[in-house]
Amino acid sequence: MKTNMPLTKPIRKVISETERLLDTELTLLRKPDAAPGGTLIDVYTYNIDKNIIIFPANYIGLLKDFVIAKQCTHLLIRGAAAKKSSYRVLSYTPDSVYRGLRQIYLDALKDEAKKEKKLPVKKLLEMLFMLYRQFHEDINELPWNPIVNARVYTRMEQLRKTQLYILLKDGKQDMDEMIDMMEIVPRRYFVLDKSMFYARDLYLAKTLPSDKLMPVVNIPQMKKFDHLEVKEMLTTRWTQTAWYQSKIFGDAMLTIMEKHLSVDWGADMSLDYYANLYDVGVNLTNDLLSYMTMKDWFIWEKPQHLLAADQQAPEYEKAALKKIFGDLIEDSLV
Amino acid sequence: MPVSEVPRLLKRAELYVRQTKYREALVLYDEAIRLEPTNAEGWCQRAAAKIEMERFSDAVADCDQALLLNPNYADAWSKKGLALYQLEQYVPALAAATRAAALNANDATAWYVKGICLEETGKSEESEIAYAKSLELEIILDIKEEKNRAWK
Repeated sequence: MKTNMPLTKPIRKVISETERLLDTELTLLRKPDAAPGGTLIDVYTYNIDKNIIIFPANYIGLLKDFVIAKQCTHLLIRGAAAKKSSYRVLSYTPDSVYRGLRQIYLDALKDEAKKEKKLPVKKLLEMLFMLYRQFHEDINELPWNPIVNARVYTRMEQLRKTQLYILLKDGKQDMDEMIDMMEIVPRRYFVLDKSMFYARDLYLAKTLPSDKLMPVVNIPQMKKFDHLEVKEMLTTRWTQTAWYQSKIFGDAMLTIMEKHLSVDWGADMSLDYYANLYDVGVNLTNDLLSYMTMKDWFIWEKPQHLLAADQQAPEYEKAALKKIFGDLIEDSLV
Repeated sequence: MPVSEVPRLLKRAELYVRQTKYREALVLYDEAIRLEPTNAEGWCQRAAAKIEMERFSDAVADCDQALLLNPNYADAWSKKGLALYQLEQYVPALAAATRAAALNANDATAWYVKGICLEETGKSEESEIAYAKSLELEIILDIKEEKNRAWK
């Protein structure tokens, strides 16, 4: 481990165990502009020769420790998968982008037909790939989140208060995300995206027992109805809103999560254990994708495939739009 | 260079530290201390840069100089605690961090280092209290940071 920062005993143990199990070295890096949840840049996913955990410079104590614990768990899952079986990530190809964009477009048409104020064509075209990538990003991260959090919660009791704060913060942020696009993206996708986060929060609220983890309070619209009974809101005034629908779909997604996440979270650290967690994450991802009817939107591929796809994303988008609209679309629009 | 230049030198050095250019910062700190050896801030800031460069013994020496000039300099006690912790001198590190936290109850790092040192010296229950205080301060800082980010 390369660091000059103070660390608690349990965190030092987690780091050294991670390094021992994966036979690798870990570098910790503080950066003022780092993502609040920290970032893991690992040898299994990126073309680099060392593993780095980056966290915000203002995380100096237990917040930093929690980020490290969380990212070490991610690293162990990826590393174990790479060593034991085959580590794959969700990637995309020109064909899968076409399938995704086409489906979003058809759903957008249905929504647009009901709208008084139509979305300008250019905006509609831009929205298709943007939404596709949003789902790619979310589905590549979201299923792993409850796995990692449940593991850290069970193994590192001293971080529970810190974890609670981070989860409350994440939950609020994730539910607030995309709000500014609520009127632009087809409702189905807004609802599905929110449902995933809602299900995650509900799962964590059940698995990490705490009164404070109450996912319903993360719904932005709740803030307007502080004085109302939650039950009343969810049964009468709200039933036609995207938020209510998110709750309904989220409850269904929770069932999927619970089916897959019946894991012994307190088991000893071993490569087999983490390789199994990887399989659990893959199966959960596949089931969530099936539920959202997005199974053919993405493909499991080696991380290098995704890095290459990201490089070519603009071309993939252009090709997919051409395939959907043919001559109807001018070059200036794609 | 006149002594009046010292505040400017310290500010420039701090900018280098923020950019993780510690060597460049150190040159300016050296100059500031040469010009005004009675400036406790200069010694303390140089100690902070030396901690980043993993020169922990040198950092302790700089903190001691700052504390000779101002025995109630909370930040110097905090840095000293941090450097001593890195040198695995947990008992004096605990004393320094405790003093830092007493002088400035809002120093999250001091509380955290105090917690670690208490843990290292087998006082787990007391360490929990220090960690809790450190977390509380960190969360306040984080909320402020989030607000700043949203503002930008």
